[in-house]
Amino acid sequence: MPSSQTPPAGATALDPTAVRPDIADVVRIIRVVPAALRATLEELKGEGFSMLLDVGGADYPGREPARFDVVYHLLRIERTATTLAQVGAPDRVRVLCAVGESDPVLPTVTDLWPSADWAEREVYDLFGVRFDGHPDLRRIQMPDDWQGYPLRKDYPLRGPALERTPRPSFALKSNVAAGTPASGKTAAALQRQIAQARGNNSFMPGSGPAAAAQSGSQPGGTVSGGAATPGQLAQQPVNLKTEDNKS
Amino acid sequence: MTTAIPESSYSVDVVERSANRMVLSMGPQHPSTHGVLQIITEIEGEIVTKASPEIGYLHTGIEKSAENLFWSQASTVIERMDYLSPLTNALCYYLAVEKLLGIDAQIPPRAQQVRVLLCELSRIASHCVWLGTGGIDLGALTGFFYCFDLRERILDLFEASGGARMHPNYIRVGGLGRDLPSGFLEKLDGVIAMYEPRMRDVRRLLQKNPILQDRMIDVGIISADDALAWSLTGPTLRATGIPYDVRRAFPYSGYEEYEFDVPTRTEGDAYARFLVRLDEMDEAMRIVRQVRKKLDTPGAWQIADTKFAPPPKETIALSMEALIHHFKLVSESFRVPPGDVYQPVEGPRGELGYYVVSNGDNRPWRVRTRPPSMYNLQVLKKIAIGELIADMVVMIGSLDPVFGEVDR
Amino acid sequence: MALGSGGDFLLTTVDAVARWAQSSSVWPLTMGLACCAIEMMTATAPEYDIARLGSEVFRASPRQADLMIVSGRVAQKMGPIVKRLYDQMADPKWVISMGACASSGGVFDNYAIVQGVDTIIPVDVYVPGCPPTPDGLLYAVNLIQQQIKQGGRGGILARA
Repeated sequence: MPSSQTPPAGATALDPTAVRPDIADVVRIIRVVPAALRATLEELKGEGFSMLLDVGGADYPGREPARFDVVYHLLRIERTATTLAQVGAPDRVRVLCAVGESDPVLPTVTDLWPSADWAEREVYDLFGVRFDGHPDLRRIQMPDDWQGYPLRKDYPLRGPALERTPRPSFALKSNVAAGTPASGKTAAALQRQIAQARGNNSFMPGSGPAAAAQSGSQPGGTVSGGAATPGQLAQQPVNLKTEDNKS
Repeated sequence: MTTAIPESSYSVDVVERSANRMVLSMGPQHPSTHGVLQIITEIEGEIVTKASPEIGYLHTGIEKSAENLFWSQASTVIERMDYLSPLTNALCYYLAVEKLLGIDAQIPPRAQQVRVLLCELSRIASHCVWLGTGGIDLGALTGFFYCFDLRERILDLFEASGGARMHPNYIRVGGLGRDLPSGFLEKLDGVIAMYEPRMRDVRRLLQKNPILQDRMIDVGIISADDALAWSLTGPTLRATGIPYDVRRAFPYSGYEEYEFDVPTRTEGDAYARFLVRLDEMDEAMRIVRQVRKKLDTPGAWQIADTKFAPPPKETIALSMEALIHHFKLVSESFRVPPGDVYQPVEGPRGELGYYVVSNGDNRPWRVRTRPPSMYNLQVLKKIAIGELIADMVVMIGSLDPVFGEVDR
Repeated sequence: MALGSGGDFLLTTVDAVARWAQSSSVWPLTMGLACCAIEMMTATAPEYDIARLGSEVFRASPRQADLMIVSGRVAQKMGPIVKRLYDQMADPKWVISMGACASSGGVFDNYAIVQGVDTIIPVDVYVPGCPPTPDGLLYAVNLIQQQIKQGGRGGILARA
């Protein structure tokens, strides 16, 4: 089971575009520098890629000075396509643009595709990449005053909380424990019922003759009393603290 | 905690203002927002002049959690994104992983058939929730009971095959978690037999209902241009006239073998989306019937290569190789060759896509979700303007968002 | 019980009747957050029917509800809102933490999820499961009813 606090092994640099030509999930993969991003996307939109499928981010910390990838997926589909045959298998394109950590700014594309609004806000919120010209660039998933960019690789999984959240005092009390009468359905009551059904009271710690003998003895000696009969031994609770359990 | 939204932060311009303007916050706790959504609306009287949906109230960090889990474990958190059709999420993710592994051609036909079956049943179950809750928003409670009862029988099937009603984690790398249990096909026949009379009843209750028609026709109209500009997919897009369906455009898991139509309308209003989804349920059942015929022939339910899918339990005691493979899979999972892939599927809400990046490790490097609900919901900023505040609920219902997916 | 004990006897009976009435009409607040909310909705559907236990309606307004069923994962943004709604509920009120995420953070031991809603509000019954079946939720409501009948926090003569 992988630990949630250690970063995954193999945090090496990676350029995905160079790696897998055999996977033909998009017709074209274009990697651009930030200065050429707007021009490329405008050109693609002019070619008919009228739908911006998605804007996403990825973090490659070993790849400085171009640490973050912002990945655009576009779909070429016409509004005049009214039959399945006309829609066909639309072309899909991936545009990747890398920015560095020192100045993570890219131009916005909300004027080309209004749907980029929230997607770019999310990349800003989770990676810290800013979008120049965005009408409303603020956090979208995290609260407005959150510090840090959670999906960066150096942001710990648990965030600012490095240990398990402590339980406040009222969480330890429940109504049942707060002194209400026994319902007959708690575990302790059930054990009492079982003991009564068995016709002996020595099943429970703190009740019965065997326990009375042991309550005065030193800790650890349930069986060392010597006077225990086999029947009593079977009924005595096991004291895990004992060192010389001669049973 | 009040979030003061500055004036300039609305992305859609108000047409005109007057002194009667009131700012109303719908949500994030609201009976009819279909989840945790806050819409900060500016209204004049009853007309909405600006609507600014605020999301993030269910942000779960699923993508970050997935980076810290093994490839085969990540589906447990990924299933919880679109919680109305969890198996669709798992299928999309595993299709991406299988593409990266290079084993997508080796998935046995029976596994593909069961995957299609469960995804189409998920579609019907998800649309049952949409229909039931959409009806409740308008006051139609009987439809809710009818739809959820149908959904119960489908959840019975998920429980029988995967072990849980929701989030069964039944689709795994290379195929399925195990073969269909005995008795499953009889139960499936029961669901198939129950579907038609039940949907006939539901249609009779709702489809031509004058109140429902009054409330849905000409509400929230989306044009085809808007649909493309706002990246809408799924029934929301198909109700504007463009029949883009990933199952037809980029068939996966054997969808090219099944005969089904892609219901499309042109009006683009809430009623059109309603009719498209109803017809989609029928088409999904049509696919289910075709798959059912194929399931009578037994076959392998997971890939033969045990480096990716665990070997059958019986062989572990007999074969050293099986034992070692099982041990390695459980303790450190398989490694996926480096690369990236974008895999789309047609979820009940639209094109669900995963952009998965691997750096050769046994954990995903990045799992970016293309959430259809988030893009579908964004168009609310545009279509709510000029509508009545009471129609806001109808519009959200007709867009059918699931906030596990919107916020992740 | 002797009539000589006077006021005690009368108050005890009124108290018992009040508790019986409260336990038979527990109205939940709609605090459906994620997947557990769907199972909560299913608990209102015919197969499980929470209405027969008295939860006839789910009230959207916290002023009108006495049970908050926190069903689903509580995100960082949502935490203060859950707390505010809990504060707005009138006494007597009870809380069911439904599901693993509400009880302890569930599968999501990360930055985004509050690790247990009991870090923000006091919880009376925890329901394990991811999501719990509607049967589990019905049993939780049963346990709340028992707690009410035994006079747990919030009887008509509310105790601190």
